[in-house]
Amino acid sequence: MIYWIALAALAATWLFSWKLGQGQARAIIAGGQRMHSLPGHYGSYSALWAVVPALMVLLIWSIFQPMVIDGMIVASLPQDKQALDDLFLNALVNDIRNMSVGNAVRDADDPVVIEAASLLGDWQMTSNILLAVLIAALVILGLVISRRQIAPELRARNRVERFVMVLLIMSSTIAVITTVGIVMSLLYESIEFFRRVPFYEFLFGLHWSPQTALRADQVGGSGSFGAIPIFMGTLLISTIALAIAAPIGLFSAIYMAEFSSPRARAVIKPLLEILAGVPTVVYGFFAALLVAPLLRDSGAALGIGIDSESALAAGLVMGVMIIPFVSSLSDDVITAVPRSLREGSYGLGATRAETIRQVIVPAALPGIVGALLLAASRAIGETMIVVMAAGLTANLTANPFEAVTTVTVQIVTLLTGDQEFDSAKTLSAFALGLLLFVVTLALNVLALRIVRKYREKYD
Amino acid sequence: MIKKVVLAASVAMVFAGAAHARDQIQIVGSSTVFPFSTAVAEAFGQKTGFATPVVESTGSGGGMKLFCAGVGTGHPDITNASRRIKSSEVELCAKNGVADITEVKVGYDGIVIANAIEAPAYDLSLRDLYLALAKDIPTEDGKWIPNPNKTWKDVNASLPAVKIEVLGPPPTSGTRDAFVELAMEGGCKTFGWVKDLKKKDKNAYKTGCHTVREDGGYVDAGENDNLMVQKLTSNPDALAIFGFSFLDQNADKVKGATVGGVAPEFELIADGSYPVSRALFFYVKQAHIGVVPGIEEYVAEFTSEAAWGNEGYLTDKGLIPMSDAERAEWSASAKGNAKLSM
Amino acid sequence: MSGNREGRGRMSRSDTMETVRKGLRSRYAAERRFIWYGRGAIAVALGFLVLLVGSILIKGASVVTQTHIRLTVELPLETFSKNGVVTAESIGAANYVGLVKSSLRDLFPDVSGRRDKRALDSLISSGAPYELRDHVLANPELVGQSIDIWLSASDDIDMLDKGYIDRDIDSTGRRVTDKQIGWYDKLIADGRLERQFNTTFFTSGDSREPEQAGIWGAALGSFYTLMVTLLLAFPLGVTTAVYLEEFAPKNKWTDLIEVNINNLAAVPSIIFGLLGLAVFLNIIGLPRSAPLAGGVVLALMTLPTIIIAGRAALKAVPPSIREAALGVGASRLQTVTHHVLPLAMPGMLTGSIIGMAQALGETAPLLMIGMVAFIVDLPGGPLDPATVLPVQVYIWADSPERAFVERTSAGIIVLLLFLVVMNLSAVMLRKRFERRW
Repeated sequence: MIYWIALAALAATWLFSWKLGQGQARAIIAGGQRMHSLPGHYGSYSALWAVVPALMVLLIWSIFQPMVIDGMIVASLPQDKQALDDLFLNALVNDIRNMSVGNAVRDADDPVVIEAASLLGDWQMTSNILLAVLIAALVILGLVISRRQIAPELRARNRVERFVMVLLIMSSTIAVITTVGIVMSLLYESIEFFRRVPFYEFLFGLHWSPQTALRADQVGGSGSFGAIPIFMGTLLISTIALAIAAPIGLFSAIYMAEFSSPRARAVIKPLLEILAGVPTVVYGFFAALLVAPLLRDSGAALGIGIDSESALAAGLVMGVMIIPFVSSLSDDVITAVPRSLREGSYGLGATRAETIRQVIVPAALPGIVGALLLAASRAIGETMIVVMAAGLTANLTANPFEAVTTVTVQIVTLLTGDQEFDSAKTLSAFALGLLLFVVTLALNVLALRIVRKYREKYD
Repeated sequence: MIKKVVLAASVAMVFAGAAHARDQIQIVGSSTVFPFSTAVAEAFGQKTGFATPVVESTGSGGGMKLFCAGVGTGHPDITNASRRIKSSEVELCAKNGVADITEVKVGYDGIVIANAIEAPAYDLSLRDLYLALAKDIPTEDGKWIPNPNKTWKDVNASLPAVKIEVLGPPPTSGTRDAFVELAMEGGCKTFGWVKDLKKKDKNAYKTGCHTVREDGGYVDAGENDNLMVQKLTSNPDALAIFGFSFLDQNADKVKGATVGGVAPEFELIADGSYPVSRALFFYVKQAHIGVVPGIEEYVAEFTSEAAWGNEGYLTDKGLIPMSDAERAEWSASAKGNAKLSM
Repeated sequence: MSGNREGRGRMSRSDTMETVRKGLRSRYAAERRFIWYGRGAIAVALGFLVLLVGSILIKGASVVTQTHIRLTVELPLETFSKNGVVTAESIGAANYVGLVKSSLRDLFPDVSGRRDKRALDSLISSGAPYELRDHVLANPELVGQSIDIWLSASDDIDMLDKGYIDRDIDSTGRRVTDKQIGWYDKLIADGRLERQFNTTFFTSGDSREPEQAGIWGAALGSFYTLMVTLLLAFPLGVTTAVYLEEFAPKNKWTDLIEVNINNLAAVPSIIFGLLGLAVFLNIIGLPRSAPLAGGVVLALMTLPTIIIAGRAALKAVPPSIREAALGVGASRLQTVTHHVLPLAMPGMLTGSIIGMAQALGETAPLLMIGMVAFIVDLPGGPLDPATVLPVQVYIWADSPERAFVERTSAGIIVLLLFLVVMNLSAVMLRKRFERRW
């Protein structure tokens, strides 16, 4: 609670010190001197000095304060309580904490707890006062420093911008490090896997049956790790999905961007986006209970044998799910094509359809390819639909009427339930993840090349 | 700049989390025991002043793993299991300082083989089930051959000439373990020479008896039993393997096959005449009693007659109760916090 | 209409016009076809949406009402007092199960036999005694009187009343016996059974009894989780996109980073759950089952989506805008914050919304960090155990009781409503910023 108050106070300080710095700069200008930067920059400069150090202290305090106080509480307990093992000591400290905030506790009438709870209350109060004083001091110090520094020759804008740049770099570093970290952890576990199963067997094997026995007294599948059949399954289902989503999504995007009235577009676009937000569990049910039986029955009527867990059903429904990825993002990039291009084309007598085909789509191509790629990766990574509507048994086929399994389904079945991090079975999930990653990587690099080559910079 | 403040706040929140106390019981484990465990948890929360326990369905093995990971409020207090704890798991527990565990048996669950209500009724023997679902089957002259059976008629001339298509739980599931041990092995043992093999070459015996076919006759259908029920109604040729409670709730849509002449009915499972049923358990970490409030009261609620008795609310949820004597015995040992010994 | 004066190689004007006209005709036809392709595509997509939402609505709409039974309950003083004194504690400790059962049996005095009595008891929800308790606790002056109170019927009766249980089929496979149907008919005839607005569903947490289960706990959980996700992923994502697109040097490394980020969208979401388990739960020590941990994991998952969309939106801003700003003396940062970012905002918001929608509907990674759990108590903050809407749907979908089918669909509807609200706010934001050039 105290931290929220402190944050609110700092937010107010920000506004106040900004005004102060700006006022000071304005006063200097009014005095007839030319300043290096605009008054607002001096405001930001002063606000940074006032708030940033205090914020850092607040952060550090919020991390270490509970630890320190817990330690002090434990030290204040009688010897026999201190000698308890960690588990009970923790429970006791929990009780004391609960008591001091007024929650119900187990041993509410233990004098030790009551005393410690009141001590805790006192210490927390002391800590809060200390914190408040420290923050106030830092704010004032910051204000004083900035006040003394603000002068016509101070390059406030450059300093503020440098600070913002550092912030930008820091946050993008965090983002990049986490993304790289995910890949690294995948890589690490996969290396463990390839120590157990030879690389070429995994990559070129034609048989997948990873459910080996985990316990000595259990008998599982035959334990072969050939990834080709399940990758074919993923490929098959994603291809079907893209074959549905790409034309529908693209034509929808073009229609929304070029033909429909702005009002219709404002309704249709969010409506389509709902398709992406429907929980995948729902699509799973939809595919398994509505689409799959429908396909099977119509197949039977036509004399084609369609499995009740066919790749077609899963792919169809997945295609519906990824329509908005294509339509919304393509719509954005098509809208962003400069108007001058359209007008130039119309001026030469092209119809709207011709303009779209020959001018707008090529101009928006990088974005469209990006949207298609995002949709494709979503299809490849999608799990629940295939878990429910496709099979679990690996089956090497390119026939959309048969049941296939996908990489993600296998990852889920390998990771849920019993797992053993030193068996090839569980580790193979990571190897699959990595391989999936590599495949999409290749796709992306290819797309990047294509985009680089054909991207036309207009405007 | 607002962004910065917000970011700092969220980081602060992250660290504030580390010092948070826990006052509700945490339960993990089998998805089969989950419906019963949650019913007890809810009744316990309503009757007593304690916070309602948090129950997670992680599967028996996953639950054991979490349960045995250590002692302290970061680890669960109770794990449910649809099989008995394995000695390897007891060792894992001991290694991580979870020394004293109380075992409580809660009742039985029948595993049924069901199909759509309008489809023909099946009367299966364990041998039929084995011959339909095994990867390799034994011949009379002492060899294993790949399972040649394509339709039920191939298995047993009295069964319909319908393609074998059985939806069942994946190997990660406790239901699958139990089905394989009880039904498949039961059918496998009816071959005289295979039974003898058990003594001579245990591994060959297990491989032969426990391996499920992978050519499409048996379809891994995930762990969602409701989905299986619905798939059955849309595909009258298929059979499915799931827990008794789903048959009980959906008796107007699916029906259970008789196994060895015994129908999967409440009384017949309870008295042990239905061959494919298994015991359910939960395990309590004794080190947490007195640390996390309410554990003893939760166990008392679970072992009360109002819950697990013949007329208790758990039977409404599909639990098959133990006999009176067995219940008295387990309830006494649970109250006394008897230590598990293997 | 003049003749061929210039020479043989040239077409006559009328021929030219004819060709042009013909060409125009086919070009216009192509144009019309093109428009119809667009309309068709949108119609197909919307058709799917209607089919999906429609089928869910049909299944889930009936959850709005819930069957209740009016019981006349005696509240004798001696049951509610301890040593002759009525206190909140003594009221709380009274035997409400017995009270409810006896008042139900009073309605059908001729029911005898253990089996029949049990069947009769199961007309009413097993949560009904607690409803009675809460009512008496709230109105202690009722003690000593006889009151009429509407209590929840059991899920089977509710299903019967809503027509999900077919009363005409053979009774062996039916959840409700013929006798129970007889009692049910009598209750209706007496005006003691009716459907009322289902407040429970919209105000309470999960329950094992379908008639007591509510969506509010999961909604709160989703709210807290998404708040954490938004607070982490949006600022990080936008700043990263801005830095990478506008400031970072373009070289092999930034290419690698771009490709890597693009790829994360293809990492199955369950892997993020594993990472969350390893890093946030086991190393940092966040509480299990808490929205905080879930939010952080989902933030990891949405971050790439937001970065990709953000960069795409920044790319789409014409270079002329930047050049103009730089030309009049703005610094690079000013160019970005004053000109490029406002123009790119609609695209960034679109990406963020898609990412958040994805996070809202995600189940798999939460499986690993304990949010797929049975949680009755409403969460009070991001540190309390909670579940989220799609997980609640998933749990209900896997529950054997028939009445949970209806609740599963209703849960999905609530989830979709959340989504629509999110989308609407985004559309409004987008409208304020959007511009064409």
